[in-house]
Amino acid sequence: MDENPPMRVDRLTEPLLAFRRIDKGFFGVKVLEGVSFEVHAGCALGLVGENGAGKSTLMNIVGGNLCADAGEMRWNGGRYSPRSPREAERAGVAFIHQELNLFQNLTIAENLFIGGFPRRLGLIDRRAMGERARAVLREVRLEHGPDTPVERLSAGERQLVEIAKAMMGEARLIILDEPTTSLTTRETGRLFEMVRQLRERGLALIYISHNLEQVRALCDDLVILRDGQVVGSGAMSGFTLDRMVSLMVGREITQFFPTRTSRPSTEVLLEVRGVSQPGMVRAVTFELHRGEVLGISGLMGSGRSELARILFGLDDCSAGEIRLAGECLNPLPPRERIARGMAFLTEDRRADGLCLEASVGDNITLVALGRMVGRTKAVRREEAQAAVRRMREAVRLTPGARDGQPVKTLSGGNQQKVVLAKWILNEPKVFILDEPTRGIDVGAKCEVYRLINELAGRGAGVLMISSEVEELIGMCDRILVMNRGAIGDSIEPGQFDRERILRSALHSGVLA
Amino acid sequence: MRNTWPGAGGSCLAESITRRSRLLAAVVGLGVLVVGGGCGRAPESTPEGGGKRLTIGVNFETLQTEYWVAGFEAIRSELKKRGIDVVDSIADGDSSRQLQQIRTFITRKVDGIIFVPKDARTCIPAIKAANEAGIPVVLFNRPAAETEGVRSVAIVADNRKLTRETVSFMVEQARQSGRKHKAMVVVGDLGDANAIGRRDGFYDAVKGNEEVVEVVSEVPSEWNQEKARSGVVNGLQAHPDISFIFTSSDFLFPAIVAALKSANKYHKVGTPGHVILGGFDGDATAYQMLEEGYLDATGVQDVYFEAEQSVQAVLDLLAGKEVPALILDPGFVIHQGNLHDLKDRMWGARVMGR
Amino acid sequence: MAIGMRVDGWLPGWLKRGVLSDHLILWLSVAYVLGMAPWATGFVSVSNAQTILAYLLPVLVVSVGLTLVLIIGGIDLSVTSIIALASVLGAKVMSGEDGWMAGNALAVPVGVLVMLAVGLGLGAVNGFTVAVCRIPAFIATLTTMMFVSGFAIWVTLSRKIGGLPAGFVMLGQNLWVATVMAVAVTWLAHGFLSRTLYGRWFYAVGQNARAALVSGVPVGRVTFWTYVASGGFAGLSAILFTAGLETGNPEMARDNLLDVVGAVVIGGTSLYGGRGRVLGTVFGVLFLALVDNSLNLVGLTFYTITMVKGGVILGAALLDTARTRILARTG
Repeated sequence: MDENPPMRVDRLTEPLLAFRRIDKGFFGVKVLEGVSFEVHAGCALGLVGENGAGKSTLMNIVGGNLCADAGEMRWNGGRYSPRSPREAERAGVAFIHQELNLFQNLTIAENLFIGGFPRRLGLIDRRAMGERARAVLREVRLEHGPDTPVERLSAGERQLVEIAKAMMGEARLIILDEPTTSLTTRETGRLFEMVRQLRERGLALIYISHNLEQVRALCDDLVILRDGQVVGSGAMSGFTLDRMVSLMVGREITQFFPTRTSRPSTEVLLEVRGVSQPGMVRAVTFELHRGEVLGISGLMGSGRSELARILFGLDDCSAGEIRLAGECLNPLPPRERIARGMAFLTEDRRADGLCLEASVGDNITLVALGRMVGRTKAVRREEAQAAVRRMREAVRLTPGARDGQPVKTLSGGNQQKVVLAKWILNEPKVFILDEPTRGIDVGAKCEVYRLINELAGRGAGVLMISSEVEELIGMCDRILVMNRGAIGDSIEPGQFDRERILRSALHSGVLA
Repeated sequence: MRNTWPGAGGSCLAESITRRSRLLAAVVGLGVLVVGGGCGRAPESTPEGGGKRLTIGVNFETLQTEYWVAGFEAIRSELKKRGIDVVDSIADGDSSRQLQQIRTFITRKVDGIIFVPKDARTCIPAIKAANEAGIPVVLFNRPAAETEGVRSVAIVADNRKLTRETVSFMVEQARQSGRKHKAMVVVGDLGDANAIGRRDGFYDAVKGNEEVVEVVSEVPSEWNQEKARSGVVNGLQAHPDISFIFTSSDFLFPAIVAALKSANKYHKVGTPGHVILGGFDGDATAYQMLEEGYLDATGVQDVYFEAEQSVQAVLDLLAGKEVPALILDPGFVIHQGNLHDLKDRMWGARVMGR
Repeated sequence: MAIGMRVDGWLPGWLKRGVLSDHLILWLSVAYVLGMAPWATGFVSVSNAQTILAYLLPVLVVSVGLTLVLIIGGIDLSVTSIIALASVLGAKVMSGEDGWMAGNALAVPVGVLVMLAVGLGLGAVNGFTVAVCRIPAFIATLTTMMFVSGFAIWVTLSRKIGGLPAGFVMLGQNLWVATVMAVAVTWLAHGFLSRTLYGRWFYAVGQNARAALVSGVPVGRVTFWTYVASGGFAGLSAILFTAGLETGNPEMARDNLLDVVGAVVIGGTSLYGGRGRVLGTVFGVLFLALVDNSLNLVGLTFYTITMVKGGVILGAALLDTARTRILARTG
């Protein structure tokens, strides 16, 4: 750590918030270990690390949701150990989460004052509320009246409401956790402008993001966490992007997309002919071969996910034919398609990929359990346990997770590995992956790519839907581009070109 | 003793309830001695000092009408008066719970059980259990269905006779008015023997008097105020000239009065347009209507007689005496003419007085 | 969160282990019996054990059925009304007074079958409306409850039906027979849920029906059969209730619904689905029955008992929340 340039020395003041050797563990696994660093007023500090590195846990400790096992925090020179979010809020910590905490059915003003309405004679003073709300909305440059319901705002505007709320509470430290994931470029620009202003006004900021470019552009200082420890900290100027990545991952990532040794065969596995469903997809026709990784690109709403759901039998199609190894699947429910070797990793693993409350083991065995039962349908436990062990190794699930642990306690990457394990255990022939690397960290992404190659190597056909064009180019044998429900372009290997894919996706006047 | 009952009995009850909930089971010893000493003497059945004090379990199906509350307190008071300890429970309309509660009495080894069954059928297993344990059972105000090998004593009002007397009095009033009356009768839940007895008593009384009273409307109430009210309203619309109404229970009077008022037919006895009104039970509403001069007559169930008879029956059974399976409470008809003399025996008047 | 943390810090080791135990409610029941024994005369006695058992068995059977429904994230408000209708229809078949098969040697088996069929049939109606017509379970079973309890009263004109044959009455009043029946179905349900493929499906549907569907679980079929099972358990429960009171009663079990839901929840089954055990329900039913019985023995009034029971259910819910938090913290 000594080799890093020291933090800016022009600060004569005490740090606003200081962490001193913070430890925290769950389920006997250390999540944070001896974390120490400082946050100064008037500075933006970038906090980066892979999922599961301990960023969220650390911020939960600051926010009063969790208690550290050891170590202490100092706030403005005094001891600080909030026992509830409210205490933290009173001290001046404001939290802006990945998932926003606004009440959608209430108005902007009501959201701003939800912690304490201005009152006159015991009743809510609507006029005072409106005036104060208007003033603060001017500051964040949000061009909506205080009586606008939050549900009518865009994601970026909601973010601004969150910031306005933090300013109302006279926060001294604002923590932004992945604030830009759902914002457009313009909205991101506006947010950054806001953040800079806040910094000028002397607020401290902690900015957490996977988008390292943004962190570089915005922050003065940087702290990198890996496996619960600070592996790098100092002024932002001392870090290049490459160095940030290698510190985060703990190894130099030489080759991001692993090369596949196997080649696709000519044998057609999945045949899709003229599949249509009004409002979703139009006359989609393609073939998926054994051992092939077929990419599907396209904008949100281009029908990618809808096509996946139709192929898997979750939605109907009004016309067309789907054949798996020659057999027509059209009337079959998902259950029957799974029995014939289909697998489907959904876009939203929390909503329909996992039983979050259930254990790792129960999730992994859910699909293939039917094969591990006797005549009375009693589950053969040893067999199931052995299968879980086998799969955990195959997907390289973190050894810290116990089989009986609820999956909701795992990091995003490990959750995704559980979903993959669930399907791989069933030895799929055709695997549809919808955004398989969404919201997971760099290391886990590599694992997912490796698994996809392994599946293809074993002769499965993989249909990979992704918004990340690089990922498709790096992984696929062929790429289909969807545009307003139809396949707009089919790009053969050797012709992969980022620009061409984007152009096909945007073709015919659809703007980003 | 009866005359001093309301004040003394009330405070006794309250005192013992707080005591019980505070001291849990410790009450059965000293507590009751204190209460008993404050409340009355133990005349005939229990030897003072030596020997075992008797404990009797009292279980009511419900306490949701004044009548049951009055009965409950009358029995408790009667037992206290005789120096007998009481354990009680309320089934709140649930037969399974009642069965469990009676079994609990048996577990606690009470000497006798007085209870108001939920209905004539579901009480049979409870009575059987008591029979097997050799504990005498007296049913208050509701008889059990006749079942082979099941022994119990029931104290019930003579519904039919008392209703006949009440309605006959009303018919007499009608005759004196010198004109013919059209009549309505509000009947109860015909699954209940009491309701059937009262309906039959009504028809007994009007039979042969068709030249004075012609029954044009029979309103089924199923012992439900709302049903009674809508039934009476409909009846009055169909026959606006109804001038004679008998209800099988006083607790339906609020519904009937409301219907009469909205038809502008609620007038005092002796004034033009008065509808001859009669009821059954003798509750506080009826008492007030009598006092104010709106009600002609009601058949009063003599709760105090029934309570006394219930306790006496248990003691007689314990002493090995022969007790008839059915003890009838003759009751009495109270009307404008005898109100002053009889109101002390009317339980509704006492409820009002408290 | 704050409460959870403090509980975490305070509790001595043995108490914490107790709170975390799967058999928590069983230990509480034992502690309760020991604690109440000196106060409630006759609480610990053979005859009282029989009283408790007679009261508990019918409630247990219907609670086990409801446990299944809650585990898949549903609710069945109609169980008590199913009990009432099964009770009167069974009694109408068997009654020696004016039953349809009065005196016939087959009256008892036919009556029993009718009661089970009423339960299974109405369960199938619930299952159909919930699983196929996609009506929310609360509404679907609420309307079933209204219709069925109304029908039970209409069909009997709110009269009780007595004169049931001795062979039938024995099913509920001979505690050996009743216990064997109740324990057998409870044990079956327990094994089914904890050991079979279908049991795993039940939990998956309750935890996340969408994920279960994507994973090839026949969600509709599971849902349908759960309600059928719940109805069937209600039918069996009706046999125990009816035989116990020797009466076909259109108001049978009318007041038991909240007791049943309370017992299941005390037993650790989540109202949100996906979590629960049959064994927990057994303990929950036992615990509530013990509380009820002991307070009766002590001589508290019905209203006081109801209040105490409400408190007990709340206490159990709080304990369960604390337990979940400690588990989340320490594993």
